[in-house]
Amino acid sequence: MVKTLIILPFIAGIIAFFIPKKAGRKLLVAIGLIHLIASILLWVERPTPPFPDYFAITPEGLLSLLVISLLFFLISIYSQGYLKAEEQHLLSDHENLISNTGIETIKAEKIFIGSILIFLSTMTMVTLSDHIMVMWIAIEATTLASAPLIYFHRTAASLEATWKYVIICSVGIAMALLGSIFIAIAMDVGQVNAPVSFSALTSVAKHLDPIWLKTGFVFILVGYGTKMGLAPMHTWLPDAHSEAPSPASALLSGVLLNCAYLGIFKTNKIMHEAGLGDFSGNILMTFGLISIIAAATFILKQTEYKRLLAYSSIENMGIIAFGTGIGGMGVYGALLCLIHHSLIKSSLFLTSGNMLLGYGTKLIKETGNMVKLMPKSFVAFFAGFAGIAGFPPFGIFIGEFFIIMAAFRSGHFVAAGIFILTLCIIFAGFSNQMMKISFGPSDHDNDTANFSKIQMDKIRSYRVDIHNKIDIGKISTDKKHMEQKLSMILPQYLLLLTSIILCFWMPDSLYQTIMNAVASMGGLK
Amino acid sequence: MLYSVDTVLSFALLASLFALGSSRLPGLIKIVGFQGIVVSMVPIFIEHNITSSAVTFYMFTMTIRGIIIPLAIYLLIKKIAIRREVQPIIGYHASLFAGLMLIVASSIINHKLALPATTNSVLLMPTAITILVTGMFILMARRNAIAMVLGYLMMENGIYLVGTTFSMGTHHIVEFGILLDVLAGVMIMAIMLENMKQKFDDVDTAFLSELKE
Repeated sequence: MVKTLIILPFIAGIIAFFIPKKAGRKLLVAIGLIHLIASILLWVERPTPPFPDYFAITPEGLLSLLVISLLFFLISIYSQGYLKAEEQHLLSDHENLISNTGIETIKAEKIFIGSILIFLSTMTMVTLSDHIMVMWIAIEATTLASAPLIYFHRTAASLEATWKYVIICSVGIAMALLGSIFIAIAMDVGQVNAPVSFSALTSVAKHLDPIWLKTGFVFILVGYGTKMGLAPMHTWLPDAHSEAPSPASALLSGVLLNCAYLGIFKTNKIMHEAGLGDFSGNILMTFGLISIIAAATFILKQTEYKRLLAYSSIENMGIIAFGTGIGGMGVYGALLCLIHHSLIKSSLFLTSGNMLLGYGTKLIKETGNMVKLMPKSFVAFFAGFAGIAGFPPFGIFIGEFFIIMAAFRSGHFVAAGIFILTLCIIFAGFSNQMMKISFGPSDHDNDTANFSKIQMDKIRSYRVDIHNKIDIGKISTDKKHMEQKLSMILPQYLLLLTSIILCFWMPDSLYQTIMNAVASMGGLK
Repeated sequence: MLYSVDTVLSFALLASLFALGSSRLPGLIKIVGFQGIVVSMVPIFIEHNITSSAVTFYMFTMTIRGIIIPLAIYLLIKKIAIRREVQPIIGYHASLFAGLMLIVASSIINHKLALPATTNSVLLMPTAITILVTGMFILMARRNAIAMVLGYLMMENGIYLVGTTFSMGTHHIVEFGILLDVLAGVMIMAIMLENMKQKFDDVDTAFLSELKE
């Protein structure tokens, strides 16, 4: 089962490079479905994986795996429509045909499908790996597999974003490798003889050399923190998320960041067992707060909606790091935020793809009146915004509530104060932008409004005129044209629905799994 | 006390100084390749009981670090680079001076650390730290994208050297995975360099400044 989960998407990815793109699209959904079923089976059965030194099934890993599977399946359905729409859009644009980017993009689609499948395989490997170095190998592999996804549009801007992504993340993750080696040195100095795996290290954590362990943790936090998007190492994230095509942005933001967090989470577990929980907690809280503050400053003045969502991801990763740093109930809140952020943010990024296809621009000031122009996408977008901003029915609210409560209980009053204040600023900034997009005036809107006004004048002067009626009909079809097909809206609804359901009814095994993951960091006190 | 491994390591140390002072890409590639070969030879001098599988692995590392990757980058610049200067942001003399200071600093750090089981070498940790930071320095202080990739490679050489200080035991399979990741990473960077050349007709990273707040 474990082997299939990792190897199957990898082989399918290689195959996808060579088969026609229409078959590739179908393969994408098929593998997504098989992967989802296999993950659920893994959740139920929990077999011992092969090579127990290198791989293990841990509660936090299972949790991430299930989120990855679900998201990937829904995103693969969305991708069908998105890739088709993108292709038509490019072929209809004459400039693109002349400059050859249109043809290039169609070529790029095969690479896109192949890479996204290999990306799935590497992410699965991250969630199931237990050996420190295997974890590193898998996380570095996710960087390499996702780089072609960002370069999908073949523009200068996407090239820049990809270059930044590959260089910053590779160098950052090299720091994590150094950190992993330091932890292995901590074993040597402490004369511990055990496999270099997270589960083995957690059980012998007390005998590890504390100085090398601390150094190792700092390097791992900086390394995986780069990948997770913690400020000040976050600079690649807004560029990559805004330049990537929407299905890829949704995957990057929804699950890739979680994978990097998993590395930090597991190392933090070792720190807690070694009695260094305060040391690691303080560093995590600091990085978390810096990320939230950095996100707040950029969200207030943001001009592009995809970058806005990217900075919101940085904010949420900050919240998660902050919660993990507090420990106990805070970790529970952080894990809730992690799950719900994945579900809601990927839904938002998918909807942003609809907006990009509809408006044809990423700038907030050129959008507007989404409620009239794209009513169905609007519902998904606005509900997603409500969720991510922390409105009560959604899980982010509950998660943040737990984190704040834990912060007050453990006596971190100043940190909790900064945390709440920054969240309020972000909420204000985010809703301001959101109102502009949803209800603000739009150019498209003005066109139709002016046009219909003239039409109305004409109708008034000529009384009944069949010709004008046809024109009005044309306008309304034009308006409908901005809205996308159902296959590009349903996945978002499903993601949001899952998030809402999880708030009111959490399956017992899911609750137990979260509890097991939290238990190692103080549990619910 | 003079150890045989220190003689080898001093070559790697010298190579990082040369790298800081070199202004041309082909030279820099040769230096990084040479350093790769030296670095992958180090475990043979350190380890006491060498198995045949270990030797095969070291040969493999040497081939990838010292020959395949540098050769790939060399072919790449033959194909794309018109300008072959590394385009420094920080000048060569300042870089060299920083390199010397770095060697001093890493020796001091090495004295302060309680290091395990490196009884048969005095230079190992200082060299590793120097190479690692030199790599980062080149990555940040050169505008040419190929020089940046070479800086990244140098960094990886340094990390590999840190890795030899602890007994990985028979975990060659894991090290092999790391090596494979590095190789794939360099290949992806190379593909992007080709695209960069097509788009901007240069590999100067100053062209990559469109995305800003």
